[in-house]
Parts: sequence; C-alpha cells; structure tokens
Amino acid sequence: MEAVESLTATGPMEALTIHFAPRTGNEEEWNEAYARLADYFRSFRLHNRIRRTQLILETLRRAADAHEKDPLRSPTAHAIAQARAMLKEWLSEIYQGMELTESQIEGTGRLGFHLCDGPGRWPHFFIDRNNLPEDMTGAMRSAVRTSGPRLQISKMTPRPIDLGIMGDSDDDDSDGGKLALLRYPILLAIIVGVLWYVYNLTNT
Amino acid sequence: MSAPAAGPAALPRVTSRVSLHHPASHAGIPSPKQARIRRATFFTFVLLGTIVGSWLMFIVLSRYGMHWHETGLLIVFVPLFYQLNTGFWTALLGIWMMNRPKPDPLDLMRTIPRDDMDSPIGATTAIIVPVYNEDVTRVFEGVRAVYNSLLATGRVESFDFFILSDSDDPNKWIEEEAAWLELCRQHNAFGRIFYRKRRAPINRKSGNVSDFCRRWGKRYRYMIVLDADSIMAGKFLVNLVRIMEKNPGIGILQTFPKQIGATTLLGRVMQFAQSLYGPAFVAGLNYWQCGEANFWGHNAIVRLAPFIEYCALPALPGKEPLGGHILSHDFVEAALMRKAGYAVRLLPNDEGSYEEGPPTLIDTLKRDRRWCQGNLQHFSLIFAKGLHPISRLNFIHGILSYVSSPLWFLFLAFSTVTAAMNPELVAPHAHLSVELLLIMTLTLIFLPKALIVLDELSTGRLFKPVRLRFLAALGSFLDTFIFALLAPIMMIFHSRFVIYTILGKGVKWIAQRRKLSVGIDWREPILTFGGVTVIGIVWAVIAFFISSHFNNHFLIWISPVVLALILAIPFAIITSSNRSLFRFGLFLTPEEVNPPPVVQSLEDHLNEVKDRPKLQPEIEQNFGLIQLCLDPYVNGLHVSLLRRRKNQQHSREYFTYLSHKLITLGPVSLHAQELKAIMYDADSVTNLHYELWSASEEHLSGFWKMAIRQYNLVAPNPFTHLIAQRQDA
Repeated sequence: MEAVESLTATGPMEALTIHFAPRTGNEEEWNEAYARLADYFRSFRLHNRIRRTQLILETLRRAADAHEKDPLRSPTAHAIAQARAMLKEWLSEIYQGMELTESQIEGTGRLGFHLCDGPGRWPHFFIDRNNLPEDMTGAMRSAVRTSGPRLQISKMTPRPIDLGIMGDSDDDDSDGGKLALLRYPILLAIIVGVLWYVYNLTNT
Repeated sequence: MSAPAAGPAALPRVTSRVSLHHPASHAGIPSPKQARIRRATFFTFVLLGTIVGSWLMFIVLSRYGMHWHETGLLIVFVPLFYQLNTGFWTALLGIWMMNRPKPDPLDLMRTIPRDDMDSPIGATTAIIVPVYNEDVTRVFEGVRAVYNSLLATGRVESFDFFILSDSDDPNKWIEEEAAWLELCRQHNAFGRIFYRKRRAPINRKSGNVSDFCRRWGKRYRYMIVLDADSIMAGKFLVNLVRIMEKNPGIGILQTFPKQIGATTLLGRVMQFAQSLYGPAFVAGLNYWQCGEANFWGHNAIVRLAPFIEYCALPALPGKEPLGGHILSHDFVEAALMRKAGYAVRLLPNDEGSYEEGPPTLIDTLKRDRRWCQGNLQHFSLIFAKGLHPISRLNFIHGILSYVSSPLWFLFLAFSTVTAAMNPELVAPHAHLSVELLLIMTLTLIFLPKALIVLDELSTGRLFKPVRLRFLAALGSFLDTFIFALLAPIMMIFHSRFVIYTILGKGVKWIAQRRKLSVGIDWREPILTFGGVTVIGIVWAVIAFFISSHFNNHFLIWISPVVLALILAIPFAIITSSNRSLFRFGLFLTPEEVNPPPVVQSLEDHLNEVKDRPKLQPEIEQNFGLIQLCLDPYVNGLHVSLLRRRKNQQHSREYFTYLSHKLITLGPVSLHAQELKAIMYDADSVTNLHYELWSASEEHLSGFWKMAIRQYNLVAPNPFTHLIAQRQDA
C-alpha cells in the first residue's frame, strides 16, 4: 500500500508525524483495519477526534510492522492486537504496585479509566505511556480501590416446623379486666338475640 | 459482590444485637387486651352475619326438603358468605377508624416525631431489590428515584442499596451490571449501591433474600424489601426506621403500597379502586389484625436479627406444587416472626409507598396462577405447632381468596341444577327469606363502596377540589360494571388454577410483565378466553331452557355471570387498551393528579429513556450481549465481577468452540445455557472481546457486522442506553 498519511498535532502530546506505508497487505485490508480501529477507540468513549486519529495511526503503524512478520493474520487482527498490547502497557504503568493480576489489569484497569471519567477529563493522555498526569493516575487507582461491604456471614438455618394438629398458641394469656367476664356474655346475648329475631321473622 | 474489589472499604457501621428470644421491649406490640376487644368485635359481626345469611339460605333451600344439590349449595354458601362478611366488616371498621374523632391508639406514626429528618438515625438499613429478568431500566430508575429521595432527606448515609439479581437471561444480566455501574458512577454511589448476581437461583425470591441475609445480614439492623416495580419516598423510609427504633417489639412493619404508573384501562381501574377503597380496607385490617398482620413480601421493613434467626423457610414435606419449596414465603415469614414473639404490624399510610400492578387481564392471571399455588401450599401450615391463631387465620384467608372461586362456581352450578329440578325458583313461604338474603348480600357488596364514596365526597380525603371528588364518585359507579364483568372471568380461571394445583401441575418461575410496551396481540386474548366464552354460551343456553321450561327467572338471575363470560374476549382486549379514560378525568388517583416527588422523578427519567431512538429489534434484544462483547468497559466490568474459578482448563476447548460459533454464526446459534457458560468464564469473555474486534468482516456473522457498525451510534452513549443521563431528582 502506497498511501502515506501524516498528521501533526499539538497539545500535551508532542508533535507527531506518522508515515504509514505498510509493505504487506492490500488497501482494502488496511482500510478495514482503519475502520475497525476507529470503531474500537470510539467504544472507549474517546470523543476527542484528534487523539483518536493519533491513536489509530500509531496503532496502524505498529500493526504494519507486525503484519510484515506474520502476514497470515489479517491487518485488522494485528491492529486490534497492537491496540490491546498498547493498552495493557499503559494500564500496567498506571496500576504498578497495586498487586493486580494481568487479567485484572485488563478488565478492572480499563474500567478504572471510565469510572474516573477519563475519556472526558484526560482524552489526550489515553494510552500515552510517556505522559501520565498524576491526577489521572491517582483517580484511576482510587477508582479500582472502591469495594463492596465485606461479607459478614451469618447462619440462616430453617427450623423444623411441626405440622401436627393445631398445637400451642403462644400468647394472649394475660388479659383480665373487671369487665372481661361481663363482656362475653353480652356479646353472646347479642348474637343469640339477633339469631332469635331472624328465626322468628322467617318462621312467621 | 458488586464493586471491583481491590481492598475492603472502611464503611462506618452501627450494628446491634437484640435479644433474639424475646424482643428487647414490647413497644409496638398491641396489648392482648386491645387485640382481644377488637377481635371480639370484628368476629362477632362477621360470624353473626355469616350465621344469619346461612340460616336464611337454609330456609330458602329447605322448604321442600333438602336434596343433594341443595345441601351442596348450602355447604359452599357458608364460606362464601363468611368471606363477604369478612370484607364488609373489615371495610366498615376501617371507615370508622378513619373517621373516629380520637386517633387510633395503635397508630405507629404517633410514636415518632413525623418527618424528623434532623435527628441522627442510630441504625443501618439495607434496602434490597430482588430482581429476576425484570425491565432493567425500570429497576434501576426506581433505585435512582429512591436514592435521590433519600439523598434529599440528608439521611442517605444510614442506608445501603442491594440489587439482588437472579436473572438467568444473559442479556438482562449484562444490562443490569452496566446499569448498576452507570448509576453508581452518575451519583458517585459506589459503596452505597451494590449489585449481586447469584449463579444458582436456589429457592427463587425467598432464597435470594436469604442469601443476602446470610452474607450481609449481620451488618444491618433493618432490611427494607422493595419489589422490582416498587418505590418508596425517602422521608417515609426514614420514618419507618424511626418507628422500628422506637418500637423494638415489631419484627416486620408492612406498609400499604399504593399503585402507580398504570396506563391501560384495567390497570388504571385497579389503581383507582385501590386508591379509593384500599385505605379503608387497610385501616380495617390493621384494626383487627393488630400485631399479627401479614407480610406482603415487599414495601416493608424487617428487623434482621430475628428474621435471620427465626424466619428461614423449611421445605414442606412432599413434592411441589403443594409441598416442597414455599412459594408465597411472605405469609409464612410473618407467621414465624410472630411465633418468635415479635409483632408483625400493618401501617395504614396514605403516602410514601408505591408499586405497580399488572397491565392486562392476562398478566393479572399469570400472577394469580403463581400466588394461587403459593397460597394453597399454606394448607399444610394451618396446623403447624406454635403459630398464633391469627397467623393460622391469615393462611386460611389466603387460601380462601382462591378457593372461593371454585366454591362460587359450584354455588352457581348447584343453583343451575336446583333451578332445573324445581319448577318454582322460590317457594312461596320463603319469599321473605329470599328478600332478606338479597338485601343482605347487596348490602355486604355495595355498602362499603357507597360509604367510602360518601366519605370521599364529604372529607375530600383523596382530592380537595370538589370536581375531582365527584369524578371519583362517578369512577366508583363505573368500576362496578368493570368488576362485575371481571369477577366471573376470574372465577373460571382461579377455579382452574386451584384444580391444576391440586392435580400437581406446578408453575414455572417467569418474569412478570409490568408494562405493556406494545399494543395487545389480539390472538392472545382469543386463545386465552375462548374457552371461557364457550362456557358462558353453553351456560346461557342451559339457563334459557330452564327459564322457558319452568317459566321462571333463572336466566335473568344468572345473566350477569354468563354475560361476563361471553364477553370475556372483548373485555380483555378493551381493558388492555391504553385508552384508559384518563383524558376524561375518570379513574384518577392522587398520584396521577399530583405525583409525589419520588414518583415524578421516576416518571421523568423513564420518559427520557423512552424518548430515545430505538435500535433495530435484533440489536435491542441482544443489547446486553453486544455490550459485553464490544464495550471495553462493560467487558471489563463483567470480568471484574466474576468470581475466579479454578480448573476451568478442562472446558477451554469447549469454550473456544462456543466462542467461535458465537462470532461466526451470531447469538441465535447458541442456547441460553451455552451463552451463560461462556459468560461465566472470565478468560472466554476477555478473549471474546478481542476476537470479535479482530475478526475480519468475512469471518463475522451478519449480526456482529451490524452490531459493530451500530454500537457506537447509540446516542448519546451506549453505556447509558438503558438508564437516564439526567441525574437530578
């Protein structure tokens, strides 16, 4: 592929000029790799187009080198593999000394960038190993420290239920009151009275 | 556990131990004397009404001697009339309680300074939301609404939220994780809102809650249970905790959740009826249940220490559906809590606690099918040793609420036989008894309703503007027709449910449909209610022949029932419609007219999500999976939340095979179980992410090609696709 692209950017990153002239692969393959990388970096919510373009080109350059050594893999596969490697290196740098396993660095690590709103606050420093602002690394490290409440295991064991014929009722033994004896006969009298009235009414 | 764990968080906690064998104090437990007086009053009226009604029925039936069908009729009449009396006297006493000049001495709100947001709360409370394949947006926006409402009280630091997922739909699982993370990120609520997913949903919802209790129960003094569709206001939550603090004798405090958010005609009518009649019934229940009320499973606060100690549910002897795992756990937990010496109280609140109801008749029936089995299971517990008699009665009432349907069906069937065998529908000497019985029945059915409407017209309890009060009265008049048409249909279905349960046909655990997202599919009601219509037609023909042969009025007498059955299909379709008469001001509830802040906040956020452009259906249906595979943050989150498992190497080839299939053939090529197998393996999930992004177009299935192109187009941010971005309350 003969295409040569260049870009000059200013800002936290140094001015950068990338010549992209892969010696292996065809234009269609590299276009596909470019498009895929563009989608991939967008999925990181990297809305800063300049930084995204810088990253795409840097990754493609690395992918082109890799493709020369292993032309059986597609440029797209090489491009994503390079992006993964760059990301891993960057995250390892940030989470150094936090005793995270490699897979935790990949998973939890990239999540840390999102949790501290990295894509919005430090887009220019995304995957830039040489420029790691302290506030960004601090925020990312503190984001992955957040943890849930520690377990405090307690036993919750079902007690057997005796399903036998109605057993003990467990309270209501204490009432008394001077009118207690009187109240129930009165109620009984009302019930009997009403029933007697209905009986008479319906039998006349 | 939810958050990425790198070290323990030092969260300040206040934990307390109460004496488990007896409450620390009896505060909150109504005295036996009070309870006895109230129950004596209530049951005297109920039994008197039942005896009088049954006697009148006996006179009507026994004029020419009792035949088998008349004996059967009388037998089924007694429990039905008891149930009518129970409802009637509960409502009447409730109306009296709402209007009595002196405040209720058992009113728990009087034990605390109401809405006191300044004094510190000395207890920590977990607000748990058990979910199972629910609408993720609704669940997390509900949590957000409650969280914001609590934040406004200044007491949020005393509450932690737990979303306890048992979801087995792979897409829901990932959507829940992403929504949880985004919610926490938006509100900086890590360490306050937690998400936990169970791998094996043992014992369904009660198992889910028990699992929480076992793992984290010791950290909290109270637990507030929310359903996936319920919300509570912050002030009210603070009040609940203060009531529990002030009344150590209470083990469970059940609130009265008011229905909100209905959009269909049936949903709105139910919501209206619950809003208008509900307070009287709840006040009445509180009157006679006293310290032996029921737990409804959600919108309640639970004292955790005795709950953990005494309320773990044993499996019932025998197999499902009547044995095995207890489905309707809440009633049993209430009974066990009471058995342990703690009161179970009902709070007749008028605001602060809300839930949603099923949108259509079919959804109502699906829910009832589950509840029916759960309630019938309680039969074995009626005679369990050590339970309070009122707990037993609560079981009986629960059973009767479903068994009454086949009893009513039998009553009508026996009536048909009686009409067919007796030339005279009513013997000449029994006219007075018939008239008395008719008046009595109509009084039992309609008097509470009439009194509640009068109460509303005179007090404006729900609505201050007089126009709205009259509209409520009109709504009450109209809902009579809707419930008259609804009741016979429910009778047929509940009868079927009872028979199915007795015959051993259990129910599956299915997610509930809370909202009608698209219009109703006409085939569904036709297939569901076709049989009911046939029953109605056959019954009408039989009644016609009986009436014409004996020249009696049996057809007229039974016409409300058979007409409802015949009209079941159009009734189901019309009531499922979103033409709910809202614009005519009918069936309004106070929450619709003046939404409380917590409800308004929920609605605003749901509307924001609803207004977003929809993705292609295939993408929308598999959005969780797409997020997992394509989104670097969701992928990282999922891997972080997975528990590392040893010895996965033996399955590596299998996982590779499944991943390859997923990439090249799309998600349709895998069963849900296969998909879940991949999703539980951290390495597979990480690799899948890179393999998908690395794959050339020619190796990708059409689904993934489209997904990669469209994922980043989801506006404004795919991560927040399912929840609102506006964070304010």
